[in-house]
Amino acid sequence: MNVYRQELSMSIKSCLYWTFGMLLTQFFFMLMFPAVSKDAAILNQIVSKFPPALTRALGLTTLDLSTVLGFYSYMFLVILMVGSVYALKSGTSVLSEEIRAKTADFLVSKPISRSSIASGKLLSVLSLLVLQIMVYFIGTVIIIKMATGQHYDPDILILINLSLFLVQIYFAALGFLLGVVINRIRSVLPLSLGLVFAFMVVQMLNQSLADPKLAYLTPFAYYDLTNIISGGGYESSFLITEGILIVMFILLAYRIYNRKDLPSI
Amino acid sequence: MKVIEVDRLTKYYGKSRGIEDLSFNVQEGEIFGFIGPNGAGKSTTIRTLLGLIYPTSGSAKIFGKDCIKEGTEIRRYIGYLPSEVFYYDNMKVIDLLNYSASFYPNVKKTRIQELAEMMDLDLNRKIDALSYGNKKKVGIVQGLLHSPKLIILDEPTGGLDPLMQNKFFDLIHEENRKGVTVLFSSHILSEVQKICSRVGIIKEGRMVKVEEISSLEDTSYRKFKVELADNIPAGYFDIPGVSNLSTHQKTSTFIFSGDINQMVSRLNERKIRNLLVEEPSLEEIFLHYYEKDA
Repeated sequence: MNVYRQELSMSIKSCLYWTFGMLLTQFFFMLMFPAVSKDAAILNQIVSKFPPALTRALGLTTLDLSTVLGFYSYMFLVILMVGSVYALKSGTSVLSEEIRAKTADFLVSKPISRSSIASGKLLSVLSLLVLQIMVYFIGTVIIIKMATGQHYDPDILILINLSLFLVQIYFAALGFLLGVVINRIRSVLPLSLGLVFAFMVVQMLNQSLADPKLAYLTPFAYYDLTNIISGGGYESSFLITEGILIVMFILLAYRIYNRKDLPSI
Repeated sequence: MKVIEVDRLTKYYGKSRGIEDLSFNVQEGEIFGFIGPNGAGKSTTIRTLLGLIYPTSGSAKIFGKDCIKEGTEIRRYIGYLPSEVFYYDNMKVIDLLNYSASFYPNVKKTRIQELAEMMDLDLNRKIDALSYGNKKKVGIVQGLLHSPKLIILDEPTGGLDPLMQNKFFDLIHEENRKGVTVLFSSHILSEVQKICSRVGIIKEGRMVKVEEISSLEDTSYRKFKVELADNIPAGYFDIPGVSNLSTHQKTSTFIFSGDINQMVSRLNERKIRNLLVEEPSLEEIFLHYYEKDA
């Protein structure tokens, strides 16, 4: 429990900064909604004139700019990437940071098992993601309220925002595994940016090629916003896939960490 | 009772050697010196004992329990001070010490205060503002605050000024008097001679010799560098106890072990321009060991 608390106190600031950054982005974007929604018909028309491969790749095919949630979803794709980078970064650095800062000797020479260290740290990452999504959710409700009086279905907003959390867990688990597999990571953020971008590229390919197998490779394909907005909810096959992958990542990470030699200082 | 039992411990890092077939025991209540040049495998051994790395083969037991299988349980009674200390920079000293204490049951708050006072350590400073020596002090307090039964020190004195070194040795002696066992690794022979009762000499991953410190002291080695006013006659210093002799015109260097008075009277026979007597480096001692063994 002490590892958990220590980790929380060291990372909570950074978590909140990222969250406020995400909210600020969404805030400025939503400010444009009243202006855009008036001319939404024209904009929708413009978008529909883009090459279909492009609109599909960008996920713009069916999002309606005249509705508040349709508009919100545009910027949400950016938020999704930022949130994913944060999750991947947190997951990766939570164990590897001790090795980078050379504090691993201190921690591991204490009477605590490797598994308990890993659990405390993983739990702190998850807790911060929960905190982040809660703050983000409350923030978006307020922002939408400020931007427009248009009525929307709050359940759908929950589903959209929750998809951020679900994608983040995937990246946090993946990062957790990377953090123990890669021996010395010089800087975590560039690695996280690169990886998230790579997954986004796969998602773009997936959307323009519409290959059902490709979709399983990237968590960005698991939650289709158009489908969610039209009331379709989540697809269970993707939920199950994600669940299995996350469990695999984490179990593998524990297994490797438990047998790993710590690099000498 | 044996506190540490190392049995044919071997550790390879990929293909490179860490330690090979290393065996030794440390008895309860003794201060065991672990000495060898850099890269000999001292840290590898210690890191294995602490469960920081896993052995390739062989076994190590502390308090009769396996270091790997029961490591968590064992480490409760071990205090460890690494050669270089690194802590979470954005923490205050006291926060770090409290964090460290939180891993052990029943650590007394007064104990931290006592140790900090003894080591002259300011508890309210931020760790990243501390000098190397002060960080080392944090390491010492951190390693002792839970009153361990076994203290493992890996080249602990680097960065401490002589005054602090003495305080530190006093502290270790004090703990030792209470019955605490100490494993003290170092590459400085004089340091080990000062504090240890028994010493294991490790070279290239193997234990070369385990000796009582008293027997090492009998054969205390001194390195001489002599410059005479005139050319030194051949064989002038070739007397019993001298080794590694090299003479060049007016200067001679050699290692001498034996009755120092004998050497002094020999030097007295001639006019000396310069004389340097120093403790030989460990490598030179080792050289000696191999010559003697051969």
